[in-house]
Amino acid sequence: MNEDRELLPELLEDLRALASDGPREAPPHIEERLKIEFRRRKRHRSLVAWSPVGAAAAAAAIALLFWSHSNKPAAGQNPPVTAAQPIAPAADDVSEASFYPLPEAEGLPAIENAMVVRVELPVSSLQLMGVPVGEERAGASVQADLLLGQDGLARGVRLAP
Amino acid sequence: MIRTWCSISMLAGFAATSLFAQGPGRHMGPGPGDFDMLRPEFGISRKVVTGAPYSASAVTQFTQTLANGDHIQRTTTAAVARDSQGRTRMDRSIAAVGALSAAGGERRAIVIHDPVAGMSYALDPSSHTARSMQIPAPRSGTGARPEGRAHRSQASVKTEDLGTQTIQGVSAEGKRVTRVIPAGKEGNEKEIDIVTETWYSPDLQVVVMSKTSDPRFGDSVYQLNSISRAEPDPALFTVPSDYTVKQGGAMFRHGPAPAPAQ
Repeated sequence: MNEDRELLPELLEDLRALASDGPREAPPHIEERLKIEFRRRKRHRSLVAWSPVGAAAAAAAIALLFWSHSNKPAAGQNPPVTAAQPIAPAADDVSEASFYPLPEAEGLPAIENAMVVRVELPVSSLQLMGVPVGEERAGASVQADLLLGQDGLARGVRLAP
Repeated sequence: MIRTWCSISMLAGFAATSLFAQGPGRHMGPGPGDFDMLRPEFGISRKVVTGAPYSASAVTQFTQTLANGDHIQRTTTAAVARDSQGRTRMDRSIAAVGALSAAGGERRAIVIHDPVAGMSYALDPSSHTARSMQIPAPRSGTGARPEGRAHRSQASVKTEDLGTQTIQGVSAEGKRVTRVIPAGKEGNEKEIDIVTETWYSPDLQVVVMSKTSDPRFGDSVYQLNSISRAEPDPALFTVPSDYTVKQGGAMFRHGPAPAPAQ
């Protein structure tokens, strides 16, 4: 900020000098300094504008991390039971690797051709497929992508992005 | 630097809100044990097989025996086809997925995988819409048998060769894989045997029949019926003109790219 203030008088002086010489193109060094100044101010404005958003987002992320961590089981226990447990993929991730492999698919043949369908299902349905989900969330519904093998049986699940 | 941190914060916040948005009470969805089919999203093809066209109907029967002795039985069907160029089509009824049934009745989903054009399409016949996605060009190499990423319990595995049989007019090699989960490994009192029998056609390079028996989840039998080795109708591998095509993104994979096979 102090650096900004120091630059301002110089900049104004250059601008006045330019105006007194009549209409013409700005000399390269003034143009360059103007650009630098505009960029600096724009960056500052962006920071001010985005600060609350960034802070809120960071807080949400921290809350999520804390929530995830607090739901982790102790060693030797079954995995925790939350609706958000299957991986949440990037919106454009179409790889098999982005799916939570289902225990019920353990014995099924490997995928040759797969189809992914988006469904809405109660969390209790995930339980039926072997996804460890807690009873307290069994009544909730989620949108999810099911990875179906060539036999139409589910191999994996992920929450809809 | 500032921009980077803002972006990271926003992404983290978006991820957090997306996850929480999936929490309980958001949807008044279907009843327990069911699902609502919303739409097909995309298809994945593990390898490109050229020079071995076929078409067939695929039938899967799933049976689950409940603790009270009752049985849940589901049958799903699909029409599958592949042309000489390696383009594939799967037209599947989504009336059930394993033990789960579709709440809104039977819906169809079609996936066309066209490695020649480098495109994949997911067609929704109910809305006459299709999603298109670019697929990466196939890499050269031999067509190795695909081994999928799957959940694996702490089971010991035994594989038996079942020899060769002709199934639906196609020669197929059989193998039986038995996974044994020892008693106590997953809280089970007795040993659990998960048995998978697979019949694979080296000519067609597809599984023509498979049977799986898993005491925890049920039994399934998958079979290709009415196998025809004639060249399928090319129209099967194009999006019908009365469909509205929505452009999707480019596909990318974390795993190995599909290998072409002859």
